[in-house]
Amino acid sequence: MSSPAISIPHDAGHADGHDDHHGHVHLQYQPGLPLSRGKLIMWLFLSTEIMFFAALLGSYIVLRFGAAIWPKPHHVHLSEPIGAFNTFVLICSSVTVVLALEAAKSNKTGLAKIWMVATFVLGGLFLGVKAYEYQAKFSHGIYPVAPHSRIYERPDLYYGSAVRARLGESAIIERLKEIDEMPAESLSAEQRAARTSLQQIRTMLGDPNQQAFEMAVVADQIAPLPAEGAGGHGGGHAHGINDAFPELQLPIVIPGGNMWASTYFLLTGFHAVHVVVGLIVFAVLLGYTLGPKNAGMIENAGLYWHFVDLVWIFLFPLLYLF
Amino acid sequence: MSDHAAPHDSAGHEEHSHGGLGKYIAVFAALCFLTTMSFFTYSEAWPWRDQPQVGWAFMMAVSCTKAMLVVLFFMHVWWEANWKYVLTIPAAMMALFLVIMLIPDIGMRNRMVSQERALHMARPADLLLLKEAGTAGPAAEAH
Repeated sequence: MSSPAISIPHDAGHADGHDDHHGHVHLQYQPGLPLSRGKLIMWLFLSTEIMFFAALLGSYIVLRFGAAIWPKPHHVHLSEPIGAFNTFVLICSSVTVVLALEAAKSNKTGLAKIWMVATFVLGGLFLGVKAYEYQAKFSHGIYPVAPHSRIYERPDLYYGSAVRARLGESAIIERLKEIDEMPAESLSAEQRAARTSLQQIRTMLGDPNQQAFEMAVVADQIAPLPAEGAGGHGGGHAHGINDAFPELQLPIVIPGGNMWASTYFLLTGFHAVHVVVGLIVFAVLLGYTLGPKNAGMIENAGLYWHFVDLVWIFLFPLLYLF
Repeated sequence: MSDHAAPHDSAGHEEHSHGGLGKYIAVFAALCFLTTMSFFTYSEAWPWRDQPQVGWAFMMAVSCTKAMLVVLFFMHVWWEANWKYVLTIPAAMMALFLVIMLIPDIGMRNRMVSQERALHMARPADLLLLKEAGTAGPAAEAH
């Protein structure tokens, strides 16, 4: 460990020349702290990033624990194993960027480049898995913003009228006619059950002689919310009309779903933007020779990347496991 | 990025490469282990199923440990000079302060209720109507 911050580092180039200048004022540059300017600035920038994510995480915690109800992970198609895999990918990329730095400092430029490429690939893999997760949400009608987001909080009259409005759209009427006319053999068992439910719902919502009914029945047919998640993501969740005929894109009911979607997409979206920025930095660095002269640059890029990993280490349990 | 201290950075510390591959692999293994540990609350062996707060505290402790490992070893802070305390100690104080502030004010706000809040808090509409009709059952007294 070096001595207190304001002393001159013992091996900075001017130390051996110092004793020769007793009668002559020889001003030397003394860094205020024993670290390079680039590293200091990077740490200052990281502290602002900490503030940024602390604000977002703090508001997530307040909203999540203040909410009257919050969706279960399998209601919103959130898969904990996929999140854990993403954590593992980012941890690996942190290791590879550290190894790139060590190789660069030892003047092993080829090896440094290999590790840097590995970091880039792992970062890209993280983004790919994230895109797959987002696609799973989007395909079930869960978007960050209404009206693109088809989530309703309660199966009430507004929900019922939204479903009826959707069923009344001309493109959907055509599709419903096609579905009704399909022979039973061409549909899977799930689709046949869904077709029957669809006909029941249309009667319930459209028939003027319909008796009073619970709108929750409609919601349950379109997108059921089982109490227990059966199996993993995609493989075991309960199937409703929206799963049998996804092109219909009927509105769904997920209590607490809109708040969940807002916070999830905000937090993971901002994190993904930071990952993209990190990947751009690595792409630029790959254009340089990764030797001891550029070790400072690599170290600073590595600091940023470790910070991105750090944020994910906190995001993962808060979003997926809580 | 040429600056005076750059040669100082790469050659100024005790060893040529601080961590060495072994240390980084050890930290990586610890991180992987801790990640699997965060799923421990889902297993049959977890004793505090009825108290989710214990699970949350455990998961946060795991996360903080992982974060410390990344900061200390991957970000090289273990080998840095005393300026790291200027950075970390106020940040740790702010983090602790935030948690101490948020848990009673937000996390526990529905657990304890002052008399004034109890007087003015909303009641379910049907209970109100029942009370007016004079046929409210024992459930009304509980509010």
